[in-house]
Amino acid sequence: MKTKSLYSIVAVVMTTVLLLTACGPAATPTEAPPEPTSPPTKAPTAEPTEPPEPTEPPAEVGPCLIIGALHGGPINDAGYNQAMHESVMAIKDNIPCVEIIEAENVPEEAGATSTMENMIQQGAGMIIATAFNHQYPALELSYKYPDVIFEHAGGWEMGANFANFFGEPPDAWYIMGVAAGLMTETNKLGFVAAFPLGWTLTFANAFHLGAASVNPDVETTVTFTFSWGDSAKEADATNSLINQGADVITMHVDSPTTIISTAESRGVYSIGFQSLHAQEFAPEYWISGTGYTLGGTLTWLASTVVDGTWQPIFLRCSLFDGCMAMAPFGPQVPQEVQDEVLAVSAEVEAGTIVVFAGPIVDQDGNIVVAEGEVLTDDLMSSVDWFVEGIIGSPK
Amino acid sequence: MTLLSILGVLSSAIFSGTSLLYTTLGEIIDQRSGIVNLGLEGVMLVSASAGFAVTAISGNPYLGMLVSVIAGGLMNLILGFLVVSRRANQLASGLALMFFGFGLSAWIGRPYVGAKIRGLPRLPLPGLSNLPVLYSSLFKFDLLIYLVIPVAILVWWLLFRTRWGLGLRAVGENADTAFASGRNPLLIRYQALFAGGLLAGLGAAHLSIAYTMNWTEYMTAGRGFIAVALVIFSKWNPIRAIVGALLFSGAVAFQLLLQSSGIQISPFLLDTIPYILTILVLIIWGGTRKHAAPASLGRVYQGTE
Amino acid sequence: MLPMRDAIKRSGFVRQKTINAVVRYAFMIVLAFLLFGIILWISGKDPIQSYKDIFSSTLGSAYGFSEVIVTMTPLLLTALGVAIPSRIILINVGVEGQLYMGACLATWGALTFGDLPAWILLPLMMLLGMIGGSLWAFVPGYLRATGIVNETITTLLLNSVAPMIVSFFIFGFWHSPMDTNKTPNFSTSARLPTLFNTRIDLSLVLALVLLTVFWFVMKYTRWGLEMKAIGGNPQAARRNGIPVKIYLISVMCIGGAISGLAGMAQVSGFYGVLLANFSRGIGFMGFLISWLAGGSPLGILLTSFVISIIISGGNLLQLTRDLPYAVINVLLAFTLFVVLARPNFLIQRKDA
Repeated sequence: MKTKSLYSIVAVVMTTVLLLTACGPAATPTEAPPEPTSPPTKAPTAEPTEPPEPTEPPAEVGPCLIIGALHGGPINDAGYNQAMHESVMAIKDNIPCVEIIEAENVPEEAGATSTMENMIQQGAGMIIATAFNHQYPALELSYKYPDVIFEHAGGWEMGANFANFFGEPPDAWYIMGVAAGLMTETNKLGFVAAFPLGWTLTFANAFHLGAASVNPDVETTVTFTFSWGDSAKEADATNSLINQGADVITMHVDSPTTIISTAESRGVYSIGFQSLHAQEFAPEYWISGTGYTLGGTLTWLASTVVDGTWQPIFLRCSLFDGCMAMAPFGPQVPQEVQDEVLAVSAEVEAGTIVVFAGPIVDQDGNIVVAEGEVLTDDLMSSVDWFVEGIIGSPK
Repeated sequence: MTLLSILGVLSSAIFSGTSLLYTTLGEIIDQRSGIVNLGLEGVMLVSASAGFAVTAISGNPYLGMLVSVIAGGLMNLILGFLVVSRRANQLASGLALMFFGFGLSAWIGRPYVGAKIRGLPRLPLPGLSNLPVLYSSLFKFDLLIYLVIPVAILVWWLLFRTRWGLGLRAVGENADTAFASGRNPLLIRYQALFAGGLLAGLGAAHLSIAYTMNWTEYMTAGRGFIAVALVIFSKWNPIRAIVGALLFSGAVAFQLLLQSSGIQISPFLLDTIPYILTILVLIIWGGTRKHAAPASLGRVYQGTE
Repeated sequence: MLPMRDAIKRSGFVRQKTINAVVRYAFMIVLAFLLFGIILWISGKDPIQSYKDIFSSTLGSAYGFSEVIVTMTPLLLTALGVAIPSRIILINVGVEGQLYMGACLATWGALTFGDLPAWILLPLMMLLGMIGGSLWAFVPGYLRATGIVNETITTLLLNSVAPMIVSFFIFGFWHSPMDTNKTPNFSTSARLPTLFNTRIDLSLVLALVLLTVFWFVMKYTRWGLEMKAIGGNPQAARRNGIPVKIYLISVMCIGGAISGLAGMAQVSGFYGVLLANFSRGIGFMGFLISWLAGGSPLGILLTSFVISIIISGGNLLQLTRDLPYAVINVLLAFTLFVVLARPNFLIQRKDA
């Protein structure tokens, strides 16, 4: 009776679905465009703009290059992943003939391999992996697919068709430290960090050195959340730092939104990192911040892939090469502070200030960079100490 | 250790413990009626994402809170359908609900990742406003924090001082006996699950709309399971749950304080203490019936057909 | 408490009328796909194209198929880690934790004895993995056997403890400033060999062998008979002189050992490093699979296969249909819901 009719309905629908899926191509006309990821048709893109890039887009049918970009987090996080996403999208704006396939929240390590494989099977000729823990799976795949170019953000490995690119944040951190050192009233700065990673410690060190250069009494407290994106932990850590008296909060996690919102809600200054969007979350207590703007670099890299001149180069570029940018100052930052910060920035650019020039002393009083020496990039990635004046354990 | 740092730990514990306590209260109601809800993680995620999305669209955090609460109730009704009406295994159904929550919340929340919302406003306690800013901001809470203890007392009153609570506990102890004495176990379990879902929704709302003011995939990061542990730790009693939640979240706050004092104790080992404590407490209670869980917890009620 | 008796009762038809059961499950899965299709359609995605993507990217190419097997392998082991204890009505929800402890101990082996040749190191790591998993299962098993605490609660609590212990070791001893949340890469001799030039590794063979052994033991040995007796009626079994306590503890430990082996296979085969929070719910999925399959070896194989198709098919959806990867969990959950809810019209067919 009732159950029987239900049963037959299901059976009918099921067979229909099976038929439709079985003879796939025949069934496509049901919906308008069968492929939403259609190539950027032959729109007359040749004339309109004179792009500053070395390549002219060849106006042919089909993409000149398919780029597969994979991110470790959500691409609209107002943080690292969004900065990387926008950088990747800049390629499309500058070289219209490329096609971009993107994947977000890609699992770490070997979990990312199948995503890259799928991208390559979709025709990707260039893979841009922006998550820290996608370096080794990408490197391994680069052996399997020698014709595909792999670019990874923020790592160190190199190969015949595998290279690393990134911004050069320590200078930017130093400048932000100066701003923080000038703005703090309690002389306590808070730094919420994800992991005791060599680069993160370097950032915290640069930040503190900058602050101490203008305010010798300043202390920086570093707290780890042990995750790139655990909002609740980040809120816990921010509250804990504020409760201990910190009145400037900064961070090195993927998305700064929770930390900045929390600081704002408690009436505490914040300094952003990763993406320039961070400032939207602190309309009142924003000091400044820096973010990655790698669009130009990635466009250039992609253009060399398009015209076949790509070379594996270890690419790092700084605030002053346009790979990073400084956000505008917040409404509470006095003009004198703004001027002083910009003056320091100019000095760093000119090379009269070198952030990690010796002598540098760590928490225990050991000299970690000797007089007359400068910490190299290589060593920065494996720093396992905090400079004097930072509170927290570098492990 | 200064007064400020002790008050700081207390304040942090209250802020982060609130969502935990709401969720735990919800699970206490579920379990008192004899149903283990292992899908809390999923319930919270869907509530958090739905509430956050509505807050982001409407700009009204209270509307978002309402949607969170309803979403939590509806999610628990799915579990109700499976375990009460279809008599499915509770643990398996709960885990299935958890996976459902992972997926659905990612879908709902995706456009709103990184959205800026106006969080639940913080209202200063009267009388504290003339303290130094540092102290007064410690205890400037939002509505949900002020409500959490009254809600816990309300849940206790409902469970132990009303006819409804008596019926609910009777079903949790033995559904057949409860049925024989004229109660409807199916209806009561549906009611319990719905009420529990509403509370879990409140917990999720506090997490996403008030505390972190953010939505990310899997942002609960195990809080659903902590709540299940807390239910056991607090012996299925809403009042004890207040202490338990403060203790659990206080441990996290204390761990952060130690970390930023440069004391080298692994935060991970400190984080295990609540669970180990719960297991130890269970061992100390031993098999004594007095402390044990609702007797028909996890049992499928076969009905009387 | 928390009996799985209904699950065990249902396992009957998997063994007796396998074809009937397969047909029934196929209907349920199609129903789940229909439900998910409706949601896809409402949210403006083309369900037919989506399903085409799922199937073409998994069953449509050798690579896709190999990835399904890669996804399936750990699920087979974790499901087995639940299924074995479930035969004597032990509910092991703790596979997730046992998995982590197995991975942790195996990693210790890999990092400490990385210079040993593979033929010594890999068996050593397997042994360590099994020890880690069974240690984590021994506690609940012992507490249950002595009647102090029921194993559902303890396994659940220990689940939350294990990942923190793993993190403690990663950040405490095995961490280098070059890395975030993982250990250094394993040496090649600590990696399980892969098969057929894909990512399928030796643990697949192990899993299949263990499934066969499980089936054989249950069907043809005294242990199997005694376990059935305990599963049927523990009191009667005890009166008949079966050492129920020893069975409770040792079977729990065996379940834990197999889960630990799954953890070892993940770090040694799939990842090649120990990553904090690497599991992403494999243990819980194993519990669900074992439950759906009613603990039968063949059922575990089929269910894991279907679930793996869904999981790894979701990968492509993100690239082609602009859906978050996690959405595939909705399809997975619908499948589970439908099977759990046992729709009426399917049940009645069974009676007919």
